[in-house]
Amino acid sequence: MAQLGILQRSEISAQGRFAVEVKHVSKSYGETEIYTDLHFQLLKGTFVALVGPIGSGKTTMLNMFAGLDSPTSGTIIVMGHDITKMSDDALGEFRAGTIGLVPQVQTLIPELTVRENVELPLHFAKVDRENIQKKTDYVLEKVGIRGESKRIVSTLSVGEKQMVSFARAMVNDPPILLLDEPTEALDPLMAEVILGLLRGDNLTQEKTIFVTTHDRRVTELARRTLRVKKKIP
Amino acid sequence: MSRGISLHEGQLMARSLKVSKSTHLVVATVAAAVAANAAAAIQMTGTVGQAVLLALIFVTLAAGTSAISSDIYARSSQTIDNLRSIGASSRSLSSAVFFSVIGYGVAGSALGAGIGSAVGLVLGGQGGVVSLLVAVLGVILASSAAAAVGVYAGGRRTWRS
Repeated sequence: MAQLGILQRSEISAQGRFAVEVKHVSKSYGETEIYTDLHFQLLKGTFVALVGPIGSGKTTMLNMFAGLDSPTSGTIIVMGHDITKMSDDALGEFRAGTIGLVPQVQTLIPELTVRENVELPLHFAKVDRENIQKKTDYVLEKVGIRGESKRIVSTLSVGEKQMVSFARAMVNDPPILLLDEPTEALDPLMAEVILGLLRGDNLTQEKTIFVTTHDRRVTELARRTLRVKKKIP
Repeated sequence: MSRGISLHEGQLMARSLKVSKSTHLVVATVAAAVAANAAAAIQMTGTVGQAVLLALIFVTLAAGTSAISSDIYARSSQTIDNLRSIGASSRSLSSAVFFSVIGYGVAGSALGAGIGSAVGLVLGGQGGVVSLLVAVLGVILASSAAAAVGVYAGGRRTWRS
């Protein structure tokens, strides 16, 4: 069983509004227990890093926050909504307006262009055409890939795809950003763009950012660090 | 600001799900073949026979287009997971495939009904112009409705599984 060490426990008892509330969550795959009776909250607007060995369940936790994986028991409340009780359709619509996700494995649509990939979440969130154009241009510019907007994604390098993934996660200005090893596949220049955005930018300001990482540069930016102590047996 | 599904959005998602020109062609030709045969045969029979033919059109086309729709989703299961992670719902994806395919189903039905009614006339179909038009319209409506129901039902069924 992996245990979660929370370094800043003051956050747990903090009064106020939480972006994420994890209530007695356990997760197992068959006989393998990943988490047992997790209970903690993340305040809105905080930048939290989750660190730990490879295979310790960091991505599982991130996916549970996004509603892409369900806990075996317990409740996860995101922005006041109990996502463990939502239907698939309700979860999809909730994610469209609430969560920006940069997964570790690329989930871009290879047949579409950079711009088309980035604007997809705006379509799901039913944003009007004029704002789709405006928001997409803005985020492409911010992430430094506006010049690549007409390229088909399958022709991009791994690092470039990661930048597109980052732009796509932020295009709808979601209150919560979930990033799974966001700097792992990036060269130093690209990593610096992402780190710059995480340090403080209009795109990331006042957002709750939850990031799994092994990169010390990322953990140094975080206000809180959660640590998964053990690898899953 | 909220709004309904746009043509561009439907095309974008259909491309994501690899709904190709071949898929459109399959839908159109199946609809045309069924409608042509029905439109020809419907001129050779009475009211009861016509009703049976229209029911047959509906059932066979709905089953066919449902299978095509299911196949689209089955081939794109990874893409669907990816789209779900950024906010897609079964409703939005079903609608995208539906709007992308349905036009070809209706066009195929209309073409098939036109050809079938001409063939029926040549083969000695009974009835006047008005009854022929009503029969052809019935074929187009039944086949279009069947294509719509089939595409939508196939998507929903695959999504749930």
